[in-house]
Amino acid sequence: MKPQPKLDLYKLHKAEYAATRKPALVEIKPASYLAISGQGAPGGDRFTASIGALYGMAFTIKMTRKFAGQQDYAVCKLEGQWWSEPASNFDRLPKDQWLWNLLIRTPEFIKDDDLRQAVAVLLKRGKGEEVKRVRLESLAEGLCVQMLHVGPYEKECETIAVMKAFAEQQQLLFSGKHHEIYLSDPRRVPPERLKTILREPVRPS
Amino acid sequence: MAATQPLRLTETIALDPALAKAQKQSSDPGAAVVCMPAMSGQGTMRTITLQDYKRRLLRVLVHIQQHLDDPLGLQELAGRACFSPYHFHRIFKGMVGESVKEHIRRLRLERAAGQLKLGTARITDIAFDAGYESHEAFCRSFRAVFGVSPSQFRSSTRNRITPTARSGLHYREGQPVNDFKATQPGGKNMKVKIEYREPARVAFMRHVGPYDEVGATWDKLLPRLGKDGRLDGDALILGICHDDPEVTPPDKIRYDACVTVDESFVPEGEIGVQVIPGGEYAVTTHFGPYQKLGDTYTRLLGQWLPRSGRELRSTPCFEVYLNDPQSTEPEDLLTDIYAPLQTKPNTLI
Repeated sequence: MKPQPKLDLYKLHKAEYAATRKPALVEIKPASYLAISGQGAPGGDRFTASIGALYGMAFTIKMTRKFAGQQDYAVCKLEGQWWSEPASNFDRLPKDQWLWNLLIRTPEFIKDDDLRQAVAVLLKRGKGEEVKRVRLESLAEGLCVQMLHVGPYEKECETIAVMKAFAEQQQLLFSGKHHEIYLSDPRRVPPERLKTILREPVRPS
Repeated sequence: MAATQPLRLTETIALDPALAKAQKQSSDPGAAVVCMPAMSGQGTMRTITLQDYKRRLLRVLVHIQQHLDDPLGLQELAGRACFSPYHFHRIFKGMVGESVKEHIRRLRLERAAGQLKLGTARITDIAFDAGYESHEAFCRSFRAVFGVSPSQFRSSTRNRITPTARSGLHYREGQPVNDFKATQPGGKNMKVKIEYREPARVAFMRHVGPYDEVGATWDKLLPRLGKDGRLDGDALILGICHDDPEVTPPDKIRYDACVTVDESFVPEGEIGVQVIPGGEYAVTTHFGPYQKLGDTYTRLLGQWLPRSGRELRSTPCFEVYLNDPQSTEPEDLLTDIYAPLQTKPNTLI
């Protein structure tokens, strides 16, 4: 319904999002994100409210700029980092102890002032306090192993195992937060067809 | 629920007083048709069936064959079948397998083929009778259906093949149409759920013009609402199509770009407020580019609906856009289509 965007960060950084069903090494350049973090099961109240706040902020910032005639850009897809403390036992932890950082990649020209203005507008409209937790974050992940996971989120461990074996072959170790990029919409796409890019930062072992 | 029972016109007249009246008055093109709800002999409501849908559509098909040279307007055709003008064309296309326009064009060409075969009329006169203003346009259309030019068709008896329509509907001089084969739902089963919706208050901007230009309207509406924090992650982005692009000229198509809003929004400038009626809706998801939405509408209204036991309300359908076309590949776009249903008859008793 809408014309082609002027700026699409995923298209601009195509190589960083060109994952296939085979693991590959990719150099990820530093990037700016809108981010909101928390703890709890995916689909839980906290998680759902955080996604709403993140999207509310993303579109309020984008549309405020667009209304003012500044450069237009596409709001990127949802991404997330998942981890636990301590790091070693993520798979065995109950889901309500999972830690997450939800992300939407954002152009570098979006600054804290843009966020402050959007928070003020959304609070005035009666949105919850969650919007105040949305912040700008820069990630510099560097060298990563990436692979496309097709199927339910519960089966990601199988893909991660393939990625781990691939890293070990190259004398590399997982060295950062597990990062995933949601290419499909879980509200309508059946679990077996969900596409998710899995990303694991690595360093030499 | 396949249509296995043959439907003969004589039986239909006996069963359906509305059709009998339509038949009697069919010499008068302005005749009003009385619309009857689905009733049984005892006067109690019963579930509407595929046969009912076929019977109602047959009234229109008979009328078209008898008035092939008249201007056949949407209101009149829809009224004859007691369908809402909002939905008639999609029901017709879904059940007959071609649009009203395509159907009329094909029947006129078949009639022309008969004239070529039997008569001695000049081809230009036959072209004019078939509704074509130029010989070239007629030849082009004729060749598309019969595979040969009108003059080849006339001179060679070997090439006189009339392709069979899946609906079984063909032009037969002096033989009124008395049955047709409703298109079977093909491919994978369509997933449709019935959903009750509360009325929805929406801020909207109306676009009048070609469907593929609605982007300009969205580009005005979304920044104005978005800068005020009204795209807050909960707002629904939806579109109401008042016209069918297949029958309405592109420059007259009306489309409302809508965003759900609360009571605090007041109309401003080009942005109005309307309420989308609540009630039951049949909902299905369209997967893929917006350009192909029409196919899913046709399947929902023309193939699922006649076999669902339900009827549509006379309010437009609407579509909810689930993802952002700016960051989504066309084949990954998701759109929910909502078709407004009448309250189920047996819940009224």
